[in-house]
Amino acid sequence: MEGRDSSHVTLASQPNARVVLDVGGKLFETTVATLQSGGPDSLLAALCLRANPDSDEEPSPVFIDRDPEIFSTLLSLLRSGRLPSSALSRFSNQDLLEEALYYGVEASLRSALSPPPLVGFDATLVATLRPASDAFPTALSAGSEDGSVWIAHGGQISAYDWSLAHTGTVRTHLDEITALQRVWPEVAAAGSLDSPGLHFYDVSGGRHVGSVHWSDPGDHRVYKARVTAIAAGWSGPDDPVYVAFECPHRENCILAVDPATLLAAAAIGRQSGSAAKAAAPGRLVHVRERGLVFAAAVSAGAFGYAGYMRLWDPRSGEAVWETNEPGAGSSSRRFGDSFADADVDREGSAIYKVCWRSGDVAVADMRRLGEDPWVYLEERSAAVGMRSAGEGANSVLRCYKNQVFVGREAGLEVWSQIMDKEGGRRRSERETEAAVCENAFRRIFVDKEEDARRGLIKAMEGGGDRLFLSREGVEGVEVWESSDLSGAISLL
Amino acid sequence: MPPYAHAEPGNVVTLNVGGQLFQTTPQTLALAGPDSILSSLASSLPSSSSVPFIDRDPDLFAALLSLLRTGRIPSRATAAFDHDDLLAEARFYALHPLFLSALSSLALFDAFALRRSLLLPLPGRDACSALAPSPLDASLLVAHGGKVSSFDPSLRRRATVLTPLPAVDSLLALGPLAAAGAADFPGLHLLDLGHPGGPVRHVLRWCPHPSAPAAAVQAIGSSPDLLFCSFESCRRNASAILAFDLTTFQPVTEIARREIYGAELDSAIPATKLQWVPGTNLLMAAGSHGGPSGLLGDIRLWDVRSGEAIWELKEKHNCFADVTVSDGLSAMFKVGINSGEVFMADMRKLSSEEPWICIGDGRRPSTGKEGGMWRCGRRW
Repeated sequence: MEGRDSSHVTLASQPNARVVLDVGGKLFETTVATLQSGGPDSLLAALCLRANPDSDEEPSPVFIDRDPEIFSTLLSLLRSGRLPSSALSRFSNQDLLEEALYYGVEASLRSALSPPPLVGFDATLVATLRPASDAFPTALSAGSEDGSVWIAHGGQISAYDWSLAHTGTVRTHLDEITALQRVWPEVAAAGSLDSPGLHFYDVSGGRHVGSVHWSDPGDHRVYKARVTAIAAGWSGPDDPVYVAFECPHRENCILAVDPATLLAAAAIGRQSGSAAKAAAPGRLVHVRERGLVFAAAVSAGAFGYAGYMRLWDPRSGEAVWETNEPGAGSSSRRFGDSFADADVDREGSAIYKVCWRSGDVAVADMRRLGEDPWVYLEERSAAVGMRSAGEGANSVLRCYKNQVFVGREAGLEVWSQIMDKEGGRRRSERETEAAVCENAFRRIFVDKEEDARRGLIKAMEGGGDRLFLSREGVEGVEVWESSDLSGAISLL
Repeated sequence: MPPYAHAEPGNVVTLNVGGQLFQTTPQTLALAGPDSILSSLASSLPSSSSVPFIDRDPDLFAALLSLLRTGRIPSRATAAFDHDDLLAEARFYALHPLFLSALSSLALFDAFALRRSLLLPLPGRDACSALAPSPLDASLLVAHGGKVSSFDPSLRRRATVLTPLPAVDSLLALGPLAAAGAADFPGLHLLDLGHPGGPVRHVLRWCPHPSAPAAAVQAIGSSPDLLFCSFESCRRNASAILAFDLTTFQPVTEIARREIYGAELDSAIPATKLQWVPGTNLLMAAGSHGGPSGLLGDIRLWDVRSGEAIWELKEKHNCFADVTVSDGLSAMFKVGINSGEVFMADMRKLSSEEPWICIGDGRRPSTGKEGGMWRCGRRW
């Protein structure tokens, strides 16, 4: 049709022109527009750049010596924008990926294979990542947005890419990595409670890049400090990585480490560590939107949990807000009900905590933090039963994508915000007094009873559209994601 | 469709789909309907030498072409492809109404040869509390806890939304929307299933008095142009059935308004089942409650236009556990709660003294088991 008029113009300018491909002996006919939809740099788009010398006649097929079955799947993807679901059962992700890499259409395949946005109440367990040896995970880092995860297991770090394919394992000199953070696309910062220092490892090259130790020229007691936490939320080379160090005599501080030079830039929040409210933080979050560093420490003792939360301003080195629990709270009902875990959401709008005794989840608006900013979320789901004392012990709480995931013993639940039309109006009226309303959230179980039997949830991280979690004494890392496939099981 | 055609040039259409040639007749392609690109190809063909080219998968097209030719999906296509893929391809050619009717054909439904075919897992721990199949296509809505999952007609894809309701007790599919209500939460919620975060589009409320709080939903039903909802006030002393317009969702009329005065507790039993009877243009409303003298219920047939009950039956002795009306059989059926037997009432002879005829199996002694939920199959 339009491809007939000129002989010296390449096909690329005629999107409706037809192209015949002979892939492994099977003929496929398609259009230039379809082939170009995989991206301008793809091999298929490059085929269209060939001059079309005899366009008046039937075009001679271009021969590609590859498997025709997988090609027909990829061609379907380019034509319709969706991967045929029969292809997922016929080919492994790895097969499809390698073939897509050959044709240069991995971007299309990637968007077709990536999970839909993570919705906590619709998430299912899709995979368990099990490193080859010593597979008990000790730390997780899922900071990047593409859904990849790095797992520290024992002294090794295993990397899994966006398709959850294993890309490499590096053996570090540490015996047990207890803090892990990805600071460059290929570099991990790892620390251990057993041996001093923060260590940078190139995971793809498998080599040690550098180390950072906390030292103070004026104080010789600062020596052999170990890493207790590395701040989550590192997002770019301009940002320092905040790392909490603790000396053997419990003195501790937070170091800002420049990821470009791998040197300690500043020390903030130096504390003696002599009491629970001056202990080294076990959780650090860089709240980038507000330029603050959130530090939380929890210790469990004979009389229950105790701990503090503190917001540090890294420029001045001052704590701008802090709360110690159990404190002399205004509400006697909450007395002694210290938090078991706390987290800040990525937008920096709220702090969430889960209480160890009652198991209640509470939220504090970051814009109006004060003496007692907590709003305790109300349980409104019908199906969830009564809770007993101590239910919040061993809880893990993570905010991700405006949802609050709580690992309570072995069960995984999510607190999802309800966007009620009427409720929204009511909330905006109440916004003058409290920005978060106690019944704006709904508690929903993410997992099933049999999932909870696998063991205590120890760590949880959100990355991309996935939630990764590890369990105490269980090998492997569970991957939870939402899916638009129903997973129907045929009974015939 | 003609099984063969004369070999005149105008009577055979050749199509090139993804590099494979297909030959068929214009009549076959015209069966695809006016929205389809196939019928436009059939009508606009100048019978010239150029073969129209469609840049789609040829194997999927082969299955859809035999659907057009024979009216059913070839079994080798269902073996080779997921229904999901076939449905997506049928949507491209605008053949999905034909595909869905072939998929859920009534001829395939045989009440005596039902087998379990699929198990649809639900996320989370909440058990299914309400089911609502869509009458238009074979899609399905499932309420579990405060969530509503919608399964597409192939049952291979699922989308879940979170409602503000603590637990959804009644659910109805209304095309792109779903109507959901709870017995302990005010208002009938109309949900847009495409928005998982904030699905609520409208909340339809009824208050017995201007100062009273909004009432909770006991049952939902619909006719071709009206949406019915049975409300019961939160103090459980007033109930009514409201009819809403299905396009504007404005209240049209209020029928069956009842309030408890004094000690007459049975006077305001809310309807817990609403069913539209298209053959007679009546609304069947049934409700029961347990009182000191056992379970009491009433079944009414309402004329929605006049707002009057055409027929009313008080169930005192063997109250229904569930009741349904079959239009095709022109009869009403119930399961007795005491006997567990199935009873039938002829819709043409409802005015008789005792309309119920036991159609239970006479050979089996009555077990006295409490009847459960049941529903009329579509063939009735």
